[in-house]
Amino acid sequence: MSANLVNLNVNPCKMCMPMGAVSALCGIKSCMSILHGSQGCATYIRRHMATHYNEPVDIASSSLTEEGTVFGGEANLLKGLRNLIDLYAPEAIGVCTTCLAETIGEDVGAIVKKFYEQNPGTGVKIIHVAAPGYGGTQNEGWFAAIRAVLEQTEQSTAPNGKINVITPMISPADTRWLKDLLTRAGMDFILLPDLSDNLDGVTEKRYNRLKTGGTSLSDIVKMAGARLTVEFSEFTDEKTSPAAYLYETYRVPYVKLPLPVGVRGMDQLLTTLEDAGGAVTVDMIKARGRYLDAMVDSHKYCAKARAAVFGEPDFVTAVIRLCCENGILPLLAATGSVSPRLKELLNAEFEDYKDFYPAEEMAILDDSDFDEIERYCRQFGVNLLIGSSDGRRIAHKLDIPLIRCAFPIHDYVGGQRVRMLGFEGSLNLLDQAANCMLEKTETGFRGVLYDRFFKTRPAPPADIHAKTASHPCFGEHACKNARVHLPVAPKCNIQCNYCLRNFDCMNESRPGVASKILTPAEALERYMKLKESMPNLTVVGIAGPGDALANFEETRETLRLIREYDADITFCIATNGLMLPMYVPELKKLGVSHVTVTVNAVDPSVGAKIYQHINYMGKMYTGTEGASILLANQLAGIKMLADADIMCKVNCVALKGINDRHIFEVTKQAAALGAFMTNIMPHIPVRGSSFEALDRMTNMEIKAIREVCGINIKQMAHCRQCRSDAAGTLDEDISIHLREKPAPKTRPYKRFAVATKSGAIVDIHFGHAKEFYIFESDGEDTRFVETRKVSRYCNGLECGDKEDRWESVIGAVADCEAVLALRIGLVPEKRLKENGIDAIATYERVETAVTLAARERSVMNGIA
Amino acid sequence: MTYREKLLEKYSAKVYKNRKEHILQMDGAEESNSITANTRALPGVMTARGCCYAGCKGVVVGPLKDVCVITHGPVGCGFYSWATRRNKAKPDEHTDKNFVPYCFSTDMQEADIVFGGEKKLEKAIDEAMELFDPKCIMICSTCPIGLIGDDVQAVARRAEAKYGITAIGFSCEGYKGVSQSGGHHIANNGLMRYVIGTGDKPPRTSFSVNILGEYNIGGDGWEEERILKRCGIEVINMFTGDASYESLKSAHLAHLNLVMCHRSINYIAEMMKTKYGMDWLKVNFIGVGATCKSLREIAKYFNNPELTARVEEVIADELAAIYDDMEYYKSRLTGKTAGIFSGGSRSHHYQVLLEDLGIKTVIAGYEFAHRDDYEGRDIIPQIKNDADNRNIESITVSADERFYREIYTEDEIAALKSGKDGIELDTYDGMIPFMKAGDVVVDDYNHFETDELIKRMKPDIFLSGIKDKYSIQKAGVSSRQIHSYDYSGPYSGFRGSVNFGRDITMALYTNAWSLVTPPWKHEPMLVGTIGGEK
Repeated sequence: MSANLVNLNVNPCKMCMPMGAVSALCGIKSCMSILHGSQGCATYIRRHMATHYNEPVDIASSSLTEEGTVFGGEANLLKGLRNLIDLYAPEAIGVCTTCLAETIGEDVGAIVKKFYEQNPGTGVKIIHVAAPGYGGTQNEGWFAAIRAVLEQTEQSTAPNGKINVITPMISPADTRWLKDLLTRAGMDFILLPDLSDNLDGVTEKRYNRLKTGGTSLSDIVKMAGARLTVEFSEFTDEKTSPAAYLYETYRVPYVKLPLPVGVRGMDQLLTTLEDAGGAVTVDMIKARGRYLDAMVDSHKYCAKARAAVFGEPDFVTAVIRLCCENGILPLLAATGSVSPRLKELLNAEFEDYKDFYPAEEMAILDDSDFDEIERYCRQFGVNLLIGSSDGRRIAHKLDIPLIRCAFPIHDYVGGQRVRMLGFEGSLNLLDQAANCMLEKTETGFRGVLYDRFFKTRPAPPADIHAKTASHPCFGEHACKNARVHLPVAPKCNIQCNYCLRNFDCMNESRPGVASKILTPAEALERYMKLKESMPNLTVVGIAGPGDALANFEETRETLRLIREYDADITFCIATNGLMLPMYVPELKKLGVSHVTVTVNAVDPSVGAKIYQHINYMGKMYTGTEGASILLANQLAGIKMLADADIMCKVNCVALKGINDRHIFEVTKQAAALGAFMTNIMPHIPVRGSSFEALDRMTNMEIKAIREVCGINIKQMAHCRQCRSDAAGTLDEDISIHLREKPAPKTRPYKRFAVATKSGAIVDIHFGHAKEFYIFESDGEDTRFVETRKVSRYCNGLECGDKEDRWESVIGAVADCEAVLALRIGLVPEKRLKENGIDAIATYERVETAVTLAARERSVMNGIA
Repeated sequence: MTYREKLLEKYSAKVYKNRKEHILQMDGAEESNSITANTRALPGVMTARGCCYAGCKGVVVGPLKDVCVITHGPVGCGFYSWATRRNKAKPDEHTDKNFVPYCFSTDMQEADIVFGGEKKLEKAIDEAMELFDPKCIMICSTCPIGLIGDDVQAVARRAEAKYGITAIGFSCEGYKGVSQSGGHHIANNGLMRYVIGTGDKPPRTSFSVNILGEYNIGGDGWEEERILKRCGIEVINMFTGDASYESLKSAHLAHLNLVMCHRSINYIAEMMKTKYGMDWLKVNFIGVGATCKSLREIAKYFNNPELTARVEEVIADELAAIYDDMEYYKSRLTGKTAGIFSGGSRSHHYQVLLEDLGIKTVIAGYEFAHRDDYEGRDIIPQIKNDADNRNIESITVSADERFYREIYTEDEIAALKSGKDGIELDTYDGMIPFMKAGDVVVDDYNHFETDELIKRMKPDIFLSGIKDKYSIQKAGVSSRQIHSYDYSGPYSGFRGSVNFGRDITMALYTNAWSLVTPPWKHEPMLVGTIGGEK
């Protein structure tokens, strides 16, 4: 469960108790198990385990139906036991309860007793395990089954000199390794349970329905006479630990060890074996040496790893320790079980690391789910996942490698052969981790590294950081500073499907729109005039309405004139990048310190969907050909800008279903080439453009993309997608006042209030509008009057309660005929009506919507 | 002794009495082939069946991509039904909502069982709304819910009032009914009651269909959609592969319902006929011949010369495109035999495809089919309703005032259905008429029967599920997962047939099988144990 959300588990990182119980029973010789409950439990668990182990997994069910829930399931269980014995002739049967049996309160012990009475002489040992699905995870189920086996078998206390070995859920291959190690150490042991053959079987001539491997009952009954129990779990307590039970009941001493992973884990095991009279052989010492050798070999690569480990508590603890021993930064340890002890055990490990990497944040989570794990992975910049295959969704989303080494593995084969125990298993895990890191290094562009570290470059201009800080777009806290876009560049050399360049649109506010094209001389004049009235004007930008570099003569002349007048002003241009490589040196000379390049794709096949055509050196190119040329020039241009110490912002227009899943790549490339930041913005569906029908991405969607891409590069979050002749601060565009006013008309003008964020479309909820754009229209001519700020009355929590805020909204629009918004709630609509104001819900271009509304009202009033 | 007798011989008297009704060996006579189905599974015999929840959540409502399906109960059921059925989906173009890769569970703990889980469920819905903002929430109940008395329908109604969304509570507790089948019915009822008919988005063309019972496993539905689109037929909805709540709302405005998996969805087909007058046509897009036949029947239904001509053109073109591949695979596969155990309709559908490739099906069975799936829809009046089935609600609908429309009169329908070229309107044949003398049919098959039949009848390939897959392979027989296609697919339509042919050929001809027998002869003649050792 997540930190703030405690009732909805989103993508669970745990399974249920019956799963663990039947898994453990698979490790007992000639044992079948039956789940007392609905059929689904057995079926789901069978298919779940079969997919992981790639083996037949046969678990019977007592097939309870509705009748069973009313009259009890005794009859079904009795029949089920009989049939199971008839069909499989097992030596033992494990009966595990489920949610259903536990909820209706089945007394399984009594039913088993009755079965023995009705079926004397079956010779089958029946063990019952209480395993309600709500009682814990598979881990609890696993140990509950082992304990039940010990509690319900008639133990022989005669000392036999053996040692008992009890494991948590480990893979069959690891189990085989463990048995081999114990044998080589000369131990006489009883391993419980032993999955090695039953869940990793062989292909042979004849198939046996009843599996033949596992710990035999004749061995199990000797466990009370052993001289020592070794239990590989740090998470069981007196109530759940099988070793503790053997001690409490039969005084068999016990040692609890962590899983033998890594040097410390293995050393603990070998010491324990030696203390118990076992031999540490030359082979074992060699294996240790070989592992140490590998640790040294790979520490250089492992040091780059930032790991998140998730799974059962013992697994997580062991793997985190291995990470720590090898310089893999352990950022996140997470388990789905409720296990406060995880924190206790791992805190020490994490503390050591905190001294080493003082600034790093780390977390240990129990009772977690994958939704929470994903959030932490993003936050911490995790680059390596270790756990079950359920982490694959995060791996895919965040492009992080995943080492699959815990149950369940559903998308790869080989779950039964996972090796992570012992020096050899640890080595396997370590090699995988190192190779995950090398994979990234090897595919990285070495030239970039060379340039970054070795190429001698002239020192960047001294004022570049000050200029960046004071730039309203590049700087983070520069919103009080103003900029002016001088519309001197009408031509464009590419056609984007989302763009429609409308020079004389009255009231649209978006890139590509300007009221009037200026000559360089006029541009200087506008600049001079503005600078007088606007002391906070820090940036002159050229942003079209076409492309600054497709009109390079005008751009150059404008900048030259202004530079003569003002030596300090920051120059900024925006371009699609097609001509960038050709002009970077000249831009540098002109004193341009900031450039925005719009890159919507770094894959020509994606680009081909966005760019209709490009016009390069007088020739038209379309499709992937055009997109490839554009892309090559954009990337080369960005690299040249970085080398020339010109701050580069990469803009990316998010187009739903076209490039929205590709933007991560764009930002990655931009970062690799040395761009300063990226600005991901939603496209504005402009009527008449090819993408007019494409939905605008919501702010939430954009925010989510920015969040992910933040891993790669700094994100701009305050873009207003402004006009090509914008002037003023980002929030207060006064360009509208710079235009010559149209001649007044005689028709009656009505006022309308519009809720809009972009200024282009009626795109926000009435309740969410912080300000209204006030327009007046006579049904033909529509003009902008002013914006009016209102304090938001709807904070999304207690709509309608805030009476005072309410009034201010009504007050703000009191002189209007109608309010236009994306949506309007019922209550506010009623309130507006009471004040004689109509509410119009629409999703249209602002100007069109207002004109239409005015026209309709004229008709209603009989004026037209 | 027949295979059937040999199989039953091993059972105890009680089990024999039960199982003999569920196992047939075809004797060539027509009348005697009646089977018992859809009754309780025997405890302890390793049935392949799942539970009611699996049918409702896992099969029918789980694939709805814009619906937040919350499993109300302890964590296991939600976890095990998480992304296990390969029902593929891509988010709709104008929304990024695709919840198919997610698992939502209320993860009930002991205290919730004792004190009730309604509050937790309500809070979980609040959290789901905050995090995911879905337009529709469905709540699927697991075993304890009905027992502890949580009212999921009431919670759903409260969520609707609070958020203005659609919320549906399904009482599909695992123990209801005798198999997944009960869950299908419950899910069908919910969709019919609360979703279908609430939208008003009309089809764009005059030949529009829903494909009922298509779950888009491995992309099957997309191949069907591709072919239908080429023919000029618009697919409004698949039920429920790659489907959305949003588009299901307007399902009643399509012109015709096509029914693929009748077992899981015939309830909706039937109810839509009563309520909206929509005809339904049994189709089968598994197999080349079957696909051609289904396309022609659809054309016949719409009875438009242009459409009929286009269908013929498409069929000719598609057949030409796959001809070489199919001929090659046929040359490798002709004469082989197969067994199929599946849920409730594939064992019938796939026989046609196997036949296309020259493979004879000798064993066929279903997990949770009803008698009509074996014997044809005409048998329904003869089926006795037992207590278990009566526990699953049957809802009655009546003609809708606004949307009821009939494309054809009763006489015209009768004409369409009659004769040699009559189309399968409002009916279907069962599987049994497809089986030849000597073939074995098993209802509610189990591990023992599967194993024994494989040993005795030795089919070359066995199509079944993951639970049987490894025991089949350990018995030395090729297996193919016919529920999830071993990560392959699509198997439907024309291109799918080629995929299937390739997969079966690869399975039968891999060198792995030839290496199973070792070259040495050191196996002991006798296997025994030394005295005293157990």
